[in-house]
Amino acid sequence: MSEKLNGQESPPKKKKTTRVEVDVTRRDVLTLAGIAAGSAVASVALTSGPLSPFAGLQREQLTAGEESAGHGATGKHHWGMVIDLDRCIGCEYCLRACSATNDVATDKPWNIVVPEETSTGVPFYFSRPCMHCQVAPCVEVCPVQATYVREDGVVIMDYDRCIGCRYCEVACPYDARKFNWETNTEHNPYIPTWGIAEIPRRPRGVAEKCTFCVHRIDQGLANGLVPGVNPEATPACVNICPVGARTFGDLKDPNSKVTQMISKNPTIVLREELGTRPSVYYIPPKEGL
Amino acid sequence: MAVSTIDNKIEKKPIQMKPGLIAWFLLIGLLLLIGLISAFRVFSQGLVLTNMSDTVPWGLWITIDLSSIALGAGAFTLSAIVYLMGLKRFQPIIRLAIYVGFIGYTAALLTLVMDIGRPDRFWHPWVYWNVHSVLWEITWCITIYLTIMIFEVLPVITELKFFDRWPWTRTAAHKLHSIAPLLALLGLLISLLHQSSLGATYGIVKARAIWFKPSMPIMFILSAIAVGPALTMTVAFLSEWITGKRRIPHDILFTIAQYSGFALLVYGYLRFWDTMATTYYGRTPSVMQALSLLRETTPYNFSFWVLEIILGVLVPAILFLMPRFRRRPVLLVIGTGLAVMGIIVNRWNTTVSGLTVPLSYSPGVLYQAPTGSYFPNLTEWGIALGVIGYVLFMLTIGMLFLPLFPKEEKH
Repeated sequence: MSEKLNGQESPPKKKKTTRVEVDVTRRDVLTLAGIAAGSAVASVALTSGPLSPFAGLQREQLTAGEESAGHGATGKHHWGMVIDLDRCIGCEYCLRACSATNDVATDKPWNIVVPEETSTGVPFYFSRPCMHCQVAPCVEVCPVQATYVREDGVVIMDYDRCIGCRYCEVACPYDARKFNWETNTEHNPYIPTWGIAEIPRRPRGVAEKCTFCVHRIDQGLANGLVPGVNPEATPACVNICPVGARTFGDLKDPNSKVTQMISKNPTIVLREELGTRPSVYYIPPKEGL
Repeated sequence: MAVSTIDNKIEKKPIQMKPGLIAWFLLIGLLLLIGLISAFRVFSQGLVLTNMSDTVPWGLWITIDLSSIALGAGAFTLSAIVYLMGLKRFQPIIRLAIYVGFIGYTAALLTLVMDIGRPDRFWHPWVYWNVHSVLWEITWCITIYLTIMIFEVLPVITELKFFDRWPWTRTAAHKLHSIAPLLALLGLLISLLHQSSLGATYGIVKARAIWFKPSMPIMFILSAIAVGPALTMTVAFLSEWITGKRRIPHDILFTIAQYSGFALLVYGYLRFWDTMATTYYGRTPSVMQALSLLRETTPYNFSFWVLEIILGVLVPAILFLMPRFRRRPVLLVIGTGLAVMGIIVNRWNTTVSGLTVPLSYSPGVLYQAPTGSYFPNLTEWGIALGVIGYVLFMLTIGMLFLPLFPKEEKH
């Protein structure tokens, strides 16, 4: 071919014919067929089989709103909270009761209260416990499963397992996690005025967060009490609120106060677009946000 | 090659302690001492000694981890080139590459142990699995890869005269060496995985807009395989200048530089589109807000454009690729220095900038979580100096005592 191209001076004598040699053996055909069949099987398995990374996605999309397998509250209860932004007066009692009950360091409260404003300039107060997400980013990133969603939807920490890498703190969309940079030896100014410490302080080097006062829930249920109804079984922040801005209860019980409030009021969850499915709902100010 | 080194016993003269070498070791000793004192203080008093906070919980140490793992990528890249692509020409640099990679990974582990709040629980990821966590996957990959690298380094160590009295160690080590291609394949898979997932550590965090993008893992792996081999090349040149012996053929080193140059261009090109897609064309409000905040409150713009892109990618690529420059070792070493700086600045920018931007989750328009601000303090720099001391110490004893190079070329 190249020799002919080089000899361009000589005029072409006749029409060139191009011959393509097909050099395919039976073995090549079988190999290619095998590869094709293998790819087909693999593509089906990876897109629809139980091993497929998309399988969970499809299930979740189909069952939007319900608890899907592997995520969130799978048990009888799903503890949740409703915070009425119109009622809150910004007194910070919830912060103080929380800090006393859980013996939290004063400079890193689990529960914050801040002055806020709607887009039309109407002031209101915004408070934030942990959202107790059903698809919690902190739970997904923890390398040792030191934090997890319980069967009743509460997200808690295993302080004995945490290695202190702080990835959960980085991944939480709500700034709800705090790290113990040092051993907390300070005097807690909220004790005993706002409550007494019901759980021990966390050791140095682990992350910590709001637990929905899970020790009260567990103890209360064991004693036949109803969390959200009986104060002994209800988070400290809910009990202390002087204006009833916070309501606690079982989101799976159609007759609970939280379920009723959610069905009768417009509610929002924070950063809904992230798909974290928080267990804390907010009733926005009546002027709108 | 391995067999030949056994046959002609290493007839190294005992190392002479010249004043220069003594001064060098004193410097390394000083760095290590600073590191050890800082480490002792952090272990006894906790991370409160650092400038990290709940707003910026990751800082200089994570930057060191990410950078030194990325810079250790020469080991798997060059191993793949020799053992999988069959380019035996590069065989002479393999031992050095693996040794440099080994130093990079161990340096990262040392820093990591400092950085976790509970160093006594470093083994938890091996026992308590969360398969959904990229950090768990990274821990496992790095553990496995470090084991592979130890297997790869062992044959080199057993060639020391010291092991003469136990000949079986040598036969065992060389049995190990015969499975080198298998180790290289395994190392390649594992390395690709964790070098990428270090980027995914940031890329999957949907809470933070400027991190949350699928390009993160790609950028991390590409920058690592571009700069890692260049670092190996530079270590070869430096050792040649210091010892005065040419031990790795220059044409190999030049080819590696060229390869790195091309890889840097690919990285730079994708980085360009990554930036354009997320900012100029995409204009996601959260990303734009975050970037304008960074522009106003931090030297982000300068460090991104000048340090990361121009000095860290373009200039090294020019030095590695232009016919006028690419055969001049001094310029190649300078180029590597710049590219290494680019990697470190990139890892720093990724980590600290993402954390500086405050989270926005309130339903109102007034409240914002505190804006992060962070600069490492003396304790953190102390650990960094200690890690540098460790790297220099390992490099020096490697050069002095380990048969990292093929037998000296005659010139």
